[in-house]
Amino acid sequence: MAENKNNYAVHVRGVSKTFGSGLTAVAALKTVNFDAREGELLMIVGPSGCGKTTLLSTIAGTLQFDVGEIDVFGLALQKMTKSQTTTFRRQNIGFIFQEFHLIPALSAVENVSVPLLINGASRAIAEKKSHALLAQVGLEGRGHELPTNLSGGQQQRVAIARALVHEPRLIICDEPTSALDKENGARIMELLQRVARAPGRCVVVVTHDNRIFKYADRMTEMEDGRIARVHDIKDGQSPPFSPN
Amino acid sequence: MYHIALKMLLGNRSKYVVLVSGLTFATLLMTQQCAIFCGLMLWTTGSLQNMRSKIWVTDPKVEQVNEVRQLRDTDVGRVRSVEGTAWAVPLFWGLQQAKLANGTFKQIQLVGLESATLVGRPHQMVAGRIEDVRLPNAVVIDELAILRLSAGRAKPIGLGDTFEINDREARVVGVCRTAKSFFGMPYIFTTYDQALQFAPKTRKMLSFILAEPADGWTVEATARSIERTTGLRAYTEKDFFWATIRWYFRNTGIPMSFGITILLGFFVGVAVSGQTFYTFVLENLRHLGALKAMGASDGLLARMLILQALTVGLIGYGLGIGLTCLFGVLVLKKGEPPFMLPYQVPLGALGAVLFICIFAALLGIRQIRKLEPAIVFRG
Repeated sequence: MAENKNNYAVHVRGVSKTFGSGLTAVAALKTVNFDAREGELLMIVGPSGCGKTTLLSTIAGTLQFDVGEIDVFGLALQKMTKSQTTTFRRQNIGFIFQEFHLIPALSAVENVSVPLLINGASRAIAEKKSHALLAQVGLEGRGHELPTNLSGGQQQRVAIARALVHEPRLIICDEPTSALDKENGARIMELLQRVARAPGRCVVVVTHDNRIFKYADRMTEMEDGRIARVHDIKDGQSPPFSPN
Repeated sequence: MYHIALKMLLGNRSKYVVLVSGLTFATLLMTQQCAIFCGLMLWTTGSLQNMRSKIWVTDPKVEQVNEVRQLRDTDVGRVRSVEGTAWAVPLFWGLQQAKLANGTFKQIQLVGLESATLVGRPHQMVAGRIEDVRLPNAVVIDELAILRLSAGRAKPIGLGDTFEINDREARVVGVCRTAKSFFGMPYIFTTYDQALQFAPKTRKMLSFILAEPADGWTVEATARSIERTTGLRAYTEKDFFWATIRWYFRNTGIPMSFGITILLGFFVGVAVSGQTFYTFVLENLRHLGALKAMGASDGLLARMLILQALTVGLIGYGLGIGLTCLFGVLVLKKGEPPFMLPYQVPLGALGAVLFICIFAALLGIRQIRKLEPAIVFRG
């Protein structure tokens, strides 16, 4: 297939990242080449310590890489200043973290409002939009609840609403179902699948959870800081491997 | 985002309470000790407040109002003859012993006013008339004297009652209100001539000369003129006030001991608030990291931290000032300990609290600048 950067949501070429120096240096990414297409839900899988999270961090612009190129929707991260990277994240990336990272002192609707507020929206508009999104993730009427009053599944749905509220083009998910039961996990993944299908969007998921592999359009398998294999998966089929 | 910052702050109740308490305590300690110190310094100038005069002429070696080196009687005439002096009158001031009804003794501050003009008279009479002080053996006592000189009496000393000053009978013809003095002794007013009778005889008896500038002369010009012509020291009231304050600063350990307490308050504020706020930031580091990952700039996060620090700072400051004022209201009713809260004290304390807050916020901002947003992906 001919490479055309502009057709990819994420286009990674020759990216390396080493932590530490000298004898304690650890190469987390070793000349990684990787793509994610618009409209797809892509999963990155692999054993612990293989570099999945490091790759996710570099794509999201939260971690600087040593060498290589990363384009996200045509924006070259390696050419951006720190301030430009911050603006890039603010406008283009939605985050779903493994540990949710909801602010405990804020209600669900306030937590969801945060990305809009960071983008300069007024409080009234942000909260109105957040209420609507909470309803979409099945939390209608629970907007005033503090995270501590919500179950793990509900907290993750709040986190998903927060990741989507400012309509980012790329949604980065780090183990989004690790704290959820099968039913809640399935519901979350169906929602992410719908988001990925929206025009001009892409969802990248790092996971160990083989229960959700079936929701991936493609799976990228990592080993020892490199992309080992990439699998195209048809709807409803299990992947041809079982990562630990 | 600023309401989010405030909710994050208020959401952590224990930290919020410790921060506000620390700053309240620091403000209270700084302002209350400053107010007591200012009050104490004001007490050192009690005589200046009770015997108002634009110019005080003294021996050249006198450095403050509570220090007396007697002048010659003829010095009054010399001062009167100086160009620029409208008038000059003698004043006696000395510590004397009063014998109480129960036979014990109390020290008093005896003030002798020139009998014709009564210049230096107390400002406010509570009972009797100041003019009656011209009667034989008559004295006007202040309210503190009622407390101090009433021992051994069936009822508090008052108009018509007598007591002894240096074995000489004194009859109370009036009660006045005076500013308290540093030594805590009551003021007893009489005429200059009678004061010389009450006091033990010495070669020179004149304590101060009170003077007024002539029309067209400033107080300062007249004072300089008196000094040039007579060789005596002539203080304006303002100069004498500050000379007295400076003398106590230089010659007593009072400023040092109060200064240490005030500094302690400041450092307690820095330590408690700085450390607690820093811990608050550390506890929220992952949330701040998440905000940073979501695109919050270092500047926005720094402004959020400054807002949080200033919020606890201003609340703590307000409570601290409120407690100091409450303390002031309570002690001013009793008259002790000394208390004066000039506007510079709360203003200075506000500056100190803002410094503490900015210092605490800077500790947090330093962490935020170092914070990698990728922290949110680590388990």
